[in-house]
Amino acid sequence: MASRQTGTEPDEQPARTSEPWGQATAAFNRWVGGDPAGLDDLVSVMTPVLWHVVRAYRLSESAAEDVIQNTWLALVRRRSAILDPVAVGGWLTTTARREAWRTAGATAPTPVEDEDLAHALPRQRSAEETAVQHDEGDRLWAAVDGLPERCRRLLRVVAFENRPDYRELATELGMPVGSIGPTRGRCLAKLRVALIEAGGI
Amino acid sequence: MTELSRDALLEIVRDVWERHDPVPEHLVAAMQAAAALADSDLDLELMELVERSTELAGARGSTSYTLRFVHGDTDLLLRIAVDDGRSRVDGWIVPPEPMTIRALPGEQPDTHEAVVSDSGRFALTDLPVGVLRLRLEPHDTARPAFATPAFEI
Repeated sequence: MASRQTGTEPDEQPARTSEPWGQATAAFNRWVGGDPAGLDDLVSVMTPVLWHVVRAYRLSESAAEDVIQNTWLALVRRRSAILDPVAVGGWLTTTARREAWRTAGATAPTPVEDEDLAHALPRQRSAEETAVQHDEGDRLWAAVDGLPERCRRLLRVVAFENRPDYRELATELGMPVGSIGPTRGRCLAKLRVALIEAGGI
Repeated sequence: MTELSRDALLEIVRDVWERHDPVPEHLVAAMQAAAALADSDLDLELMELVERSTELAGARGSTSYTLRFVHGDTDLLLRIAVDDGRSRVDGWIVPPEPMTIRALPGEQPDTHEAVVSDSGRFALTDLPVGVLRLRLEPHDTARPAFATPAFEI
């Protein structure tokens, strides 16, 4: 994907997520240069990002793992197709998202309630976490979790991807290309309100 | 109440998902193994399956059968026994040659390996049942590694 659509805001690049992309490019270059450890590092840096992007499509854990594995196999087999090493992170997330979307569409729609219940199950927390942090975390989660499904998915993808391809996102969400930016803005506004109402901030 | 910036909100979204739907612990290692395997397969020469015995059913649902592979002058005979969901592979390399045999069980990160004895024998035990392939790495580094095609236990 040497010529990715980068949406309407080319300056968009959240500080924290810019980190894995540079590491991915460096690791990719080492791998292509003949160092197998470069591939290990690339997988280690990008697999967590792919997890969150793919799971935004409400795939089961095992289906998500299959999608991620296929993404890595595709990279290994088609690495010569990646002409610009800087684009390797975007190539991976785009490939994974495409397949996640295909997989999610191919399987029968799962009842939303089940997934919501699973998300609501209490997670193990470290003993050091105080009750205060616990409560704050719950409030933040409630705000994010309570968003409409389209917002939940869009914000999760945008949060973990560097510069998602708006054209593809629009197709996947059944929206006109031009409405992704405004929709994202509305979703962020909804989240802001939910956070304030929940007392999470 | 401060007006949260877009980046601050997206940071919250990331943190929340990282805590509520964390990456499974085994995932990175499993993906590293799958990618490395695919990478090493790209120019790996494959042995040819030349013989396969019919399955011999044993007591208590155990089965065993043999496979024979050939690559160049190297013959590989495998006797595979499955018992209670685990399998054992006994192998003979003819002519005997010092090499390390690695079992690559599908996408699982753990690999089983054995070194061929002077008589050309090796054994891999407690393998999971499923798709398996063996990678043969001659200790003579001038000889490239080769592998069996995947076979199902």
